[in-house]
Amino acid sequence: MLKMTHLSKVYRTEVVETYALRDFNIDVKEGEFVAVTGPSGSGKTTFLTIAGLLETFTGGEYHLDGVEVSHLNDNARSKIRNEKIGFIFQAFNLIPDLNVFDNVEVPLRYRGMKAAERKKRIMESLERVGLASRAKHYPAELSGGQQQRVAIARALAGSPRLLLADEPTGNLDTQMARSVMELLEEIHREGATIVMVTHDPELAARAQRNVHVIDGQVVDLAEDPRFHAHVAQVADATHGR
Amino acid sequence: MQIQPILAALKRHKAGTFLIALQIALTLAIVCNALFIIQQRVERISRSTGMIETDLMAIQNMWVGLSDENASEPLIKADLQVLRQLPGVQDALATNSYPLRGGGWSTGVRLNPEMKKPAAQTTQYFVDDHALATMGAKLIAGRNFRPDEVVAIDPKKFQFSPTVMVTKALSDKLFPGSSALGKQIYLSDGTPPSTVVGIVERLQVPWKGGFADNFEANSTLLPVQLTGNFTTYLIRSKPGQLASVLKAAPEALFKANRMRVLPSERGVRSFAMVRQDAYKSDRGMAILMGIICVVLLGITAAGIVGLTSFWVGQRRKQIGVRRALGATKNDILTYFLTENLLIGLGGVLVGALLAMGMNLWLMKQFEMARLSPLYVITGVIVLLLLGQGSVLAPAMRAARVPPVEATRSV
Repeated sequence: MLKMTHLSKVYRTEVVETYALRDFNIDVKEGEFVAVTGPSGSGKTTFLTIAGLLETFTGGEYHLDGVEVSHLNDNARSKIRNEKIGFIFQAFNLIPDLNVFDNVEVPLRYRGMKAAERKKRIMESLERVGLASRAKHYPAELSGGQQQRVAIARALAGSPRLLLADEPTGNLDTQMARSVMELLEEIHREGATIVMVTHDPELAARAQRNVHVIDGQVVDLAEDPRFHAHVAQVADATHGR
Repeated sequence: MQIQPILAALKRHKAGTFLIALQIALTLAIVCNALFIIQQRVERISRSTGMIETDLMAIQNMWVGLSDENASEPLIKADLQVLRQLPGVQDALATNSYPLRGGGWSTGVRLNPEMKKPAAQTTQYFVDDHALATMGAKLIAGRNFRPDEVVAIDPKKFQFSPTVMVTKALSDKLFPGSSALGKQIYLSDGTPPSTVVGIVERLQVPWKGGFADNFEANSTLLPVQLTGNFTTYLIRSKPGQLASVLKAAPEALFKANRMRVLPSERGVRSFAMVRQDAYKSDRGMAILMGIICVVLLGITAAGIVGLTSFWVGQRRKQIGVRRALGATKNDILTYFLTENLLIGLGGVLVGALLAMGMNLWLMKQFEMARLSPLYVITGVIVLLLLGQGSVLAPAMRAARVPPVEATRSV
């Protein structure tokens, strides 16, 4: 479903080159629920933006659903984003000027779907996340958990092949985070491929597979000393040492 | 199309939307009426006097030390002889007035002595048999005055003339569907009738607008040499010799008789100068209205650019989200163009009503003509195109917002 081989992403300025990803390799199979973890600045969000075709990469190869995407133009990338990928952002990213119904409708309109089909899909998605009764509410009238559920409904409405979640519970309290996570697990059980970026080990543990990123590379958890250093750091922070 | 969600979003930005729509509405209302005024002024300026204006000049003459009103008769005759014999002069005429002079005689024309209300208003040009040749006016029916018909009369004692020539406009007004030629008209109360002996194609009245708008080409020529203190000479030079005649004519007049004053201002003018002086205020008004239109359109365009730029800046993240969800650059461009078009349509709808309302007010207050719907339609198209043109640059900037913007924190 998602395969990156020797992928690199370099940010260049006049004086310095910064590798956000270096020799990055990952292979996510269809139907998998993969958690991508790593410390801040490790490159996991960069990975997600490249995976979601929000950004281009500098070198290597990236196959999404069997298609090598490096040569695609902006319109083709937009089409793939619209038809194959569902995004769930940490900050929900709902459009504040639109009500819940219209927010979920946004990607469907860009697909050129007929109004009746759009309405059917929107209501199904909202029912799926338990917010059909809030269709006419504006984002500001909803709790954080509800907003994230709307974002999930928006991601699901287009029946994407791949769901990309960037810290989906990062802005939620424990109870809401649990409910959102349960929803993602449920969606996965129904066959969706999910790649979730998180720094929360507890959340990562609920995924099928964990991929750890440090310094822009996927690392083998058992052997890499940087992972042990990171674990120690997290433990220090947790115990307040 | 995304009209419904765009309208929904605009409802959440009422103040900005309302202000821009209002600006468009006011601009349309003012620009439509201003363009209409410009068009009217240009049309007025472009009107033909009915004369051949090239090689034509005018001299305003005031006699000094006359013993009585009739004393000027031989002096005028002598002047005309001098002028007509001057090298470079084709013909000359003494008259009370001429088109665009700004002052003259006017009277009501009746078709019978019992008529209580005149059938038409006309100006009266007191001329001789040289009038048509000097003015370059075209006789289209009947005949010119004969020299023996021309009489000299003290202006205070003038009552009527047995023969007259009228313009076609006056003929049509007095006798719709037929010709005034050979018919009798009454130029004053209680006077005998005048017989129309000739029809002139066109001859504008001395006034360029205002009260004379209703009879701007209703002229009557009478074979009368008005005596008195003031005489106006119209002189036609031979082709291409106007400049030398402009200099030579006053010199010759002074040489013939020094007891006269030619005012330093407007005393001796080519007809081009007469026309320029006559339409100075119209030209000024047209230029002023043009400047107002340009300034207003500029301010409206700047307002649209400003508001859209602000909205693009404000919605950067939202644009990134739309791009992440599958919007192409063209979708974003179309979004902002459509949004502007919807605001513009609201503005021009109100503006069209305002334009017509403003015109009604101007009609009532300043006797302006009714605004043609063509101006409103043109104004609507111009304003909508201006809006689309103004929004293009910020909309293109919006389209360049990358999809990765969706993942950036504000």
